[in-house]
This record gives sequence, C-alpha cells and structure tokens, in this order.
Amino acid sequence: MTEVLFFIEVVVAGLLAGTMYSLVALGFVLIYKASSTFNFAQGAMVFFAVLAFVGFMELGLSFPVSFVVTVLLMVLVGFCTERLVLNPLMNQSEDTLLMATIGLGFVLEGLAQAAWGVEVRRLDLGIGDFPIEWIIDVFGLFVSALDVTAGIVAAVLIIGLALLFKYTRMGLGLRAVADDPGAASSIGIPLKNIMLLVWSAAGVVALVAGMMWGARAGVQFALVDLALKALPVLIIGGFSSIPGAIIGGLIIGATEKVLEVYLGPFFGGAIEGWAPYVLAIFFLLYRPEGLFGEKIIRRV
Amino acid sequence: MTGNSDNILEINSIEVMYDSVISALHDVSLNVPKGKIVALLGGNGAGKSTTLKSISTMLAAERGKVTKGSIVYDGTEVKNQNPYEMVTLGMVQVLEGRRCFGHLTVEENIIAGAYSRKLSKSQIKDELEKIYGYFNRLRDRRKSQAGFTSGGEQQMIAVARAMMAKPKMLLLDEPSMGLAPQLVAEIFNIVKELNEKEGVSILLAEQNTNVALRNADYGYIIETGHVMLHGSADELLNDEKVKELYLGISKEGRKNFRDVLREEETKKLA
Ligand SMILES: Nc1ncnc2c1ncn2[C@@H]1O[C@H](COP(=O)(O)OP(=O)(O)O)[C@@H](O)[C@H]1O
Ligand SMILES: [Mg+2]
Repeated sequence: MTEVLFFIEVVVAGLLAGTMYSLVALGFVLIYKASSTFNFAQGAMVFFAVLAFVGFMELGLSFPVSFVVTVLLMVLVGFCTERLVLNPLMNQSEDTLLMATIGLGFVLEGLAQAAWGVEVRRLDLGIGDFPIEWIIDVFGLFVSALDVTAGIVAAVLIIGLALLFKYTRMGLGLRAVADDPGAASSIGIPLKNIMLLVWSAAGVVALVAGMMWGARAGVQFALVDLALKALPVLIIGGFSSIPGAIIGGLIIGATEKVLEVYLGPFFGGAIEGWAPYVLAIFFLLYRPEGLFGEKIIRRV
Repeated sequence: MTGNSDNILEINSIEVMYDSVISALHDVSLNVPKGKIVALLGGNGAGKSTTLKSISTMLAAERGKVTKGSIVYDGTEVKNQNPYEMVTLGMVQVLEGRRCFGHLTVEENIIAGAYSRKLSKSQIKDELEKIYGYFNRLRDRRKSQAGFTSGGEQQMIAVARAMMAKPKMLLLDEPSMGLAPQLVAEIFNIVKELNEKEGVSILLAEQNTNVALRNADYGYIIETGHVMLHGSADELLNDEKVKELYLGISKEGRKNFRDVLREEETKKLA
C-alpha cells in the first residue's frame, strides 16, 4: 500500500512540475504558430525575466510592483524583438529567423548578466517546498506546496491564454496568422501587432516559469537549460499544437520523476536531465509528428 | 490617361522585379473606372498575380518591387504602404488559391475580414447578416471548419471575408480556378451583385477568358509582362485574335499574341 501511495506521490509531483514545462512549451508554440520559427531565445527569456524580477526586488520594489515592471519589461523586449529583429527579417527564410532567435538568446543572456551580475540569487515567494498538511491528512500523500502552486498558476495562465485566443479580436487575428500569414495580411491583419502580442505572451510565460523554478533551485544560468526541456515536450506534443504542449509537458514531468526515482539509482542519479530527450528520441522514431501534430488540412 | 478622377485605379507603365533580378512585368498600364469590373486576362505566368500584388503591396512579402512607373489608387500614389494600410484605404486583394484559414470556422474566417475596422460585437453581427445575404450557402455552413468545406465554398469564404473589410475596390485573383462551371457561374453572379449593389470596383485576374469577359465591362490581355491588347468586353469577345488565342478556336502553331502580330507584320511586308 505504501508502495502504491509513494508511486502516486511521485507521479503527482511529476505532473505538477510538468505544468511548468507545458507553460514554457506554450510560449514556444505561440511563436512557432505565428512565425514558423523555433524560438531558441525562450530559455534566455526565462533567465532574463526572472533575473530582472529579482533585481527589481533587490532595488527595494515590492513584489507586485516588481512583477508588473518586469511584465512591462518583457513586453518591451517583445516590442524590440519585433522591431529590430523580426520585422527587418520579415521576408527572409525560416532558417534566418532561427539563427536570429539564437542570436537574440545570447544578447538577452549577456544583457541580464551585465545588468544584474552572475551570482546565483535566492528567490523567496513565501511558499515553502514542503508537503501540505491537509493533503497528507486527507489523501496520505506528501505533495509540495510549491509544486501545487506551480500547477495552479500554470493552469490559470494556460486557461487564460486559451480564452484570450478563442474570444478576443486579437486572438482571432493570431489564429488567422497562425493558419496563413499571407492571407491574414491580405485582409488587413497587421502582422506586427500579432507578433507583439505573441512575444509579450511568451515573455510573461517566461517570467512566471522562471519565478517558479527560481524559487526552488535559485535564480541562475541553469534555468536556460531547464527551459530548453520544452524541446522534448514539443517533439512529443507536436510543435503547433497548444493541447499538445500541455499534455507533452505533463508526460515529460511525470515520466522524468518516475524514472528518476525508480531508475535513477541504477544510473547514479540525475537522469532527469537527459531522460526527457531519450523519450523524445523514441517519439521521433515512432511518431515524428508528435501526439497532437495537427493534420494539415488540405484545400479541396 | 493620368489624372482622370473617374478612375479609382490607374497604373502607368509599371515594371516589376522579384529578388532584384527576375523581371516579371515589363510594361503594364491599365485603368479601372469607378464602379466597374475590369478583367486582366492571360495565361499562366503572364503576370496577372504580380500586377494585383503590386497594387495591394503584397509584393514586398515575396521580395518583389515596382521598379518603374506608378500606381495611383483613389488619388493616392501607392508607394511605401503596407497591405494593412491599403486595406484601411479600401483596397483588398483576394489571393489566388482562396487561402482560407483552414482551422477557423467559416464564420470566424468572415469575421477576420473585419479585423482592420475595429467594430463592436453588434456591428459585426449586422455586417455578417448583410454578407450572408449575398452568400446564402455560407450561412448554413457557418459553424463548419473552413478547411473541410468545398472549393466553391472556400472561394465564397475568401470573397465574403474580403467584403467584411468594406472595400472600395476588390482585386480577385482567378476565382474560377479549379471549379466546376456551375459554381463558377454562381460565384460570378455574386461578384456582379456585389459590384452593382455595394458599388465596389473590381479588378479581376482570370485565365477563363470567356466567363471573365461576359461579366466584365472592360478587359486587358497580358503576356509575359506586357499588355498586348485592351478594349471593352464586347470588343474583346468579338476580336478575331482573342477568339483564336483565348476562346479556344485555335489554329495550329500560333500560341500567343506576339506570334500573331509577327505573322501579320511579315504578311504586310510581303
Ligand atoms: N515570388 C516570385 N519570385 C520570383 N518570380 C516570380 C514570383 N512570383 C512570380 N514570379 C514570376 O513572375 C512571372 C509572372 O508570374 P505571375 O504574376 O504569378 O503570373 P500569373 O498570375 O499570370 O500566372 C512568372 O514568370 C513567374 O515565374
Ligand atoms: Mg497567378
């Protein structure tokens, strides 16, 4: 019985941690849908955003003010990216755009470190990485409060974004651009504004993920690599699918925890770092379009 | 030819290059009088789409550029505008191949056409009703995913979507492409109705010369980036060369205007 409970605990912790992968992967999907490019700068954006947030806190700003200022900063980053990087490259090939996002990543990492220094920061969200009492009482499960918070925050953000895309004018514009940027442009949907929306959303997602991860492991450069775990998530979920990003994140989160706990000891631990990539390779071999890789609808 | 305010569009000897080296149009001039339907006719690769994209400024997205001549739309020179600005000025292009948003519903596709107008929910509803009045068939399909509708319905979606932007002028690129004659007729009827009731001026690129001229007021025939002939729709329909080359009554060996004209030249000289 305790064996089973323990397994459930591991899976739940994995799923909750996975919501953050889902969220970051969602940032990638948005940009991928709007500009058909894999945004290699997403990891750097996570690092940049949360480092800036901690920096503002250190300057003496309160938590909410720091948060709002950082969100505005990320919108500004999105704006500059659109103006200085994407717009000039608008009609270039997708490879060129890919290189540009890699370059943007280096710029953001450099800027963040120049502005805020290189040492690891602590980020205290006031939520401990301890089991929640009542969950122990009711279910007999040890689940970390930080994991639960991360899960709830990610879920709220994902649902919020989904509603935004389904029911607002800009959301409709985004979905149109994702389907056919040329046709969207021909009926007067300004690609510029849509890009700004997408990059701002990706920036906010990056900040939130950075805060959750930073609270656990410290705000440090390693967050960039953590964010790149969105890559195996996307391989599993399919690059252009929002539900795919969400489910892919949960699968990666749960699988890596289970593997870590049950197989980790045989590999000398720390297989969380590479297990997702192994899983992704299996998918590439057997289901390269991903679980939810959208079928391309052909015109009759 | 220039400065006539009865024309909503005036193109004066434009030359267009892609990638700064591939020359697609050499010398194209044409006028569209206000409230009229003008057909731009020619075979594959003649330069019809390039002409339309020069007007809507969609050309830039394909690394194309107008290198000579001028385009004047509704009194404004078309130079550095982008497609969004052109749409707000009332110029909307329906691209070749319909290009519906496949994952959006039919109704979402049409609503997307009003994006630049920033309408309220109730205004959108009114506009939709008006559009469905012309495109009855789409009303029944409003909740379907556009990617799963038929070719004819997709062409209607594309035109309906463009009409939601409230254009003064529509550029239609080969609306008949790949459609059965009956559907072609249905679509041209709607286009004519829109022209008459909404007063929208239309420049229509077509390979289907017959249908296009039967619905247009005036026509231009282009080949390899040159205007070869123009005249009223009736004149062109009764022109011997047009009949032979474009209406399917072809003598062997003479494939285009250039050949016909050259042949006539040699005859004259002999
Ligand atoms: N994006 C492009 N890049 C380079 N050349 C092009 C491009 N689009 C069209 N062309 C060339 O321009 C010429 C005219 O093409 P187009 O305007 O598409 O003709 P049509 O619409 O009459 O079939 C053709 O020779 C075509 O190969
Ligand atoms: Mg064409």
